[in-house]
Amino acid sequence: MLMTTLRSVIRQTQRHPLYVGLNVFGLALGIGLFLALTLLVRFEYSYNSGFRDVDRLFRLDTIASNPGTETREYAGTTFYALPFLKEDFPNIENSVRIQEQSLQVRLNGTLASFRGGFVDPSILEVFGLRLLHGLPDALSRPDGLVLSENAARRIFGTSDVMGRTVTVNNDGQMSRHIVTAVTNGGIGPNFLSDFEMMIPIPIEREKSNNCYSRWSSDCGNIYLKLKQAQDQASIQSHLRDFVMRRASGPDDSDIGLGLHPEKMYALTLAPLRNGRFYDAHVVASDDGVERNVIDGIGLVGLLALVLACANSINLATARSVLRAREVAIRKTLGATRKALLVQFIGEALVLTLVAGLLGIALCELLVPGIASLTGENITISYIFVLAVLPVVILGCGLASGFYPALVLSGYHPARVLAAARMPSGGRMVGRLRDGLVIGQFVIAITIVIGMLVIHQQTEFLKRADQGFVRSGLLIGSAIPSEDIATQQRLHDRLASVPGVSAVTYGMLAPSPEDKNQMTFTYDSPAGPIRVNLLQDRCDENYLDVYHPRILAGRWFDASRGQDTHPDYRKTPNAMSNVILNETGAQRLGFTKPTDAIGKVIKSGSHVSTIIGVMADMRFESPRQSIYPGLMTFNPHFSTVFQQPIPAVRFSGVPVLEMERRLGLAWSSVLPDVEGHFQTADARLEKFYRGDEQRGRIFTLGALAAVMIAALGLYGLSAFAAARRVHEMGIRKTLGATSLQVIMLLLRGFLRPVIIASLIACPIGWAITRNWLSEFDERILLGPMPFIIAVGGALAIAGLTVIGQTIRLARAEPARALRSE
Amino acid sequence: MLIELSHIQRLYCSDEVETTALHDIDLQIEASEFVAIMGPSGCGKSTLLNILGTIDRPTAGSYRFGEHELTALNEAALAKFRRENLGYVFQSFNLIDELTIEENIDLALVYRNMPKGERRTRVAHAMDRVGIAHRARHYPSQLSGGQQQRAAIARAIVGEPRLILADEPTGNLDTENGAQVMDILQRLNDEGATIIMVTHSPSHADLARRRIDMLDGQVVISVRNAI
Ligand SMILES: Nc1ncnc2c1ncn2[C@@H]1O[C@H](COP(=O)(O)OP(=O)(O)OP(=O)(O)O)[C@@H](O)[C@H]1O
Ligand SMILES: [Mg+2]
Repeated sequence: MLMTTLRSVIRQTQRHPLYVGLNVFGLALGIGLFLALTLLVRFEYSYNSGFRDVDRLFRLDTIASNPGTETREYAGTTFYALPFLKEDFPNIENSVRIQEQSLQVRLNGTLASFRGGFVDPSILEVFGLRLLHGLPDALSRPDGLVLSENAARRIFGTSDVMGRTVTVNNDGQMSRHIVTAVTNGGIGPNFLSDFEMMIPIPIEREKSNNCYSRWSSDCGNIYLKLKQAQDQASIQSHLRDFVMRRASGPDDSDIGLGLHPEKMYALTLAPLRNGRFYDAHVVASDDGVERNVIDGIGLVGLLALVLACANSINLATARSVLRAREVAIRKTLGATRKALLVQFIGEALVLTLVAGLLGIALCELLVPGIASLTGENITISYIFVLAVLPVVILGCGLASGFYPALVLSGYHPARVLAAARMPSGGRMVGRLRDGLVIGQFVIAITIVIGMLVIHQQTEFLKRADQGFVRSGLLIGSAIPSEDIATQQRLHDRLASVPGVSAVTYGMLAPSPEDKNQMTFTYDSPAGPIRVNLLQDRCDENYLDVYHPRILAGRWFDASRGQDTHPDYRKTPNAMSNVILNETGAQRLGFTKPTDAIGKVIKSGSHVSTIIGVMADMRFESPRQSIYPGLMTFNPHFSTVFQQPIPAVRFSGVPVLEMERRLGLAWSSVLPDVEGHFQTADARLEKFYRGDEQRGRIFTLGALAAVMIAALGLYGLSAFAAARRVHEMGIRKTLGATSLQVIMLLLRGFLRPVIIASLIACPIGWAITRNWLSEFDERILLGPMPFIIAVGGALAIAGLTVIGQTIRLARAEPARALRSE
Repeated sequence: MLIELSHIQRLYCSDEVETTALHDIDLQIEASEFVAIMGPSGCGKSTLLNILGTIDRPTAGSYRFGEHELTALNEAALAKFRRENLGYVFQSFNLIDELTIEENIDLALVYRNMPKGERRTRVAHAMDRVGIAHRARHYPSQLSGGQQQRAAIARAIVGEPRLILADEPTGNLDTENGAQVMDILQRLNDEGATIIMVTHSPSHADLARRRIDMLDGQVVISVRNAI
């Protein structure tokens, strides 16, 4: 039985190498892509799931709903809340605080950065991190240090480093640590997998840092391990009461959040399982991935498989028709319908098996590519592949074998043998074939539309007006020093670098959880409007460096006393001038920017006059709406900047060279602090990276889909051409010209593609519109992607069939008529 | 003189063997003639008919049709020539399976850019003449051999061509149907059409006005029948 099937497959391959080749190749492509993309989807879905008891692990998030702003969820929470939580919720089993920080170690004279931070000793235990050396209590001594295996190798060249000392540099503050454990992280992909260095939170830090002692600031993340996964619901439902009870305080206190904290502040538990999907909508987490995008990628993989299967069914029915005579003769010789069914399905399974093996090979080639396209550490899991592949092979094999087998085995031998020429397979089969080709092109065109829109949007975001002039601008790391003299020295040093035309300090949209956020009231004619404004401060060169666009009013002027932001501790009742961003002006109720000029806004006893409105400047993720903002003026270091961010405008020097020079200037002033300058694009890159990477996956899927569909069309046109040689001979005998014949054939071949376009465009429109709605700034969905996708599909389909068509049209009619 | 073939030669070159299907054929046919071509299988009858029908090109020689030298025409011009002057009846009918009888017949007019109304009346008329009007909406596979051949003849005459070429039009038919087909051809000839017919049946050949015998790619005898 098996031998007969194999022999038959080999004979078919020899007789119709084109059909069998296209069939196997198309299937292999589909299976390969399906496996590779499924691995990617599996990777994303397994994120964090390797942690011990992941379903009991949660991150405590903050939800802020300030006046005049949209509600936002932040991953960070004040550490001040933790002792109260533990006291009030006995079903919290354990907790970890992580204050993420880039830590430096001097290696061979230069500072090397490591991702890591200050953590609670329980981190090893709570997440169940695997230890290569050392014990789970490694961080219980204050000078303990846990290194990742990679970090150990980077520092010492080996992972066997227990007891060795490392001097850790945290923005200029040194501390000596002894390696007490080496970890190779959690199992599978997780948010700690690129964590390289863990240090216990120093006692001094807890005492000195506001975020350990106030509700209104935060400096890191709190992770909770609950006694049972179900406890989430009960804790969640009591968190509002908790905030009311614990975070309230007098309005003027620094510690509490006022009389009614629950009105603008809430806590919530964010599950760690599938945490990346959750994080897609959490502010300031550049690690989030939208679930529907990942599902979309999975769908592309599945569709590639469906396409390939459709191809296979199509080619198999086409090929089977060529075997009608063989079947008829077999039947007259006594073969039963069942025997024929078994034979054809067997053949299909053998071909699919071959394709499946090729598909694995293709997957091997694709996965490293996808890993580098997405920047994810994806590897092939053979356990997974071997579990999925048999199902795929069986499914595809049965699908592509069953229908042709049914059609073929159902032929009436008399009719087939009596017919002068080979049968077309009947109207039903013809319709099925058309339907499948249409379906294939619907899928391919839709994916291409999606790909083009993603690409357009990503490009748009990169080029979109960010409210400042990006070229010739470099932005530096935050300066940790809060000493005016040092800040001044660095400023002068940067200004003296050849090529630099201006240097400025600003705060660059600090995290809205900082103290730099204040609620202002504008007494509009219609009543008071309260808006929470994010405060930025800049010096006198800001305008020259960033070139923000002034929409109304004027920029600050150092010679006008009231422009300079007063030190309210010295002059509590001073008036000051401020500039709003466009969003801020809108939220305060000004319809036109000019309406805001000269108006007065108040925050407590502080009174400010609006002298200008500037365009929104975007330093955050493009998915985030712009926060209403307020700029104050701090020229000539009147007061000290808190962690200012330097920026320079330069010209006449290549960017890389400028970055190098500024880096040198930085380290000559702050030798122990790692600092570097980047373009605005590079700073924003992390926000675009995800979309770009997923855009590339879609491109890959689109390419494969189009290729599979084209393969199918090619096979079918070859088949149709072979079958229509005779007809074309007749038509030409009756006086049709070659051109007429070509047009007739092209119309026939392209008709399914045209119908597919009509179906695909609305589908693509609906999907892409939905996707675009996630962005704060987005492209208008124009006709271009649709025109390109449809035009491209038609062009590719046309190119695919044109060879066959011309060959067919040019055949001498007498010869065509002889061919049977 | 309607048709004038001189020194027509047709070679078939396959990979190794070279077959001479026609040797140096010289032939003249007047307008309104009814010519029967006979000869043993493989002697080149179909090849000759194909060349006359311009669906095959001679390797050498010249073919004049009325005022045209056909061997000099390009492909598009030949297509135009065929649709305006020729009707073809094949031994194996050569109807298109996917089209109904009516549509098959109409096909001979479609390429002439004739208005639809006129085409419809002409098709109906042609079907009437061969007696298959009641089968207009059927597909070829639903008809008997004789009916299919009559449909093929209807397609050949619907354009009122100057020349009808028929390759064994009765070869697949029984005596009764064969006689009917011959009757139709004779009537067409009476109305002025030039007919060239290949046949293996001496009795059918006798119905033509002139008979040509071929052997090994050459014309051996050409006689006029006494009528
Ligand atoms: N395409 C071709 N390639 C090679 N040889 C051919 C081709 N067509 C015809 N021949 C050869 O040319 C010769 C004449 O063929 P043709 O079909 O004209 O014969 P015929 O007289 O019509 O025979 P029959 O009465 O059997 O139909 C034959 O020897 C045939 O083998
Ligand atoms: Mg013949």
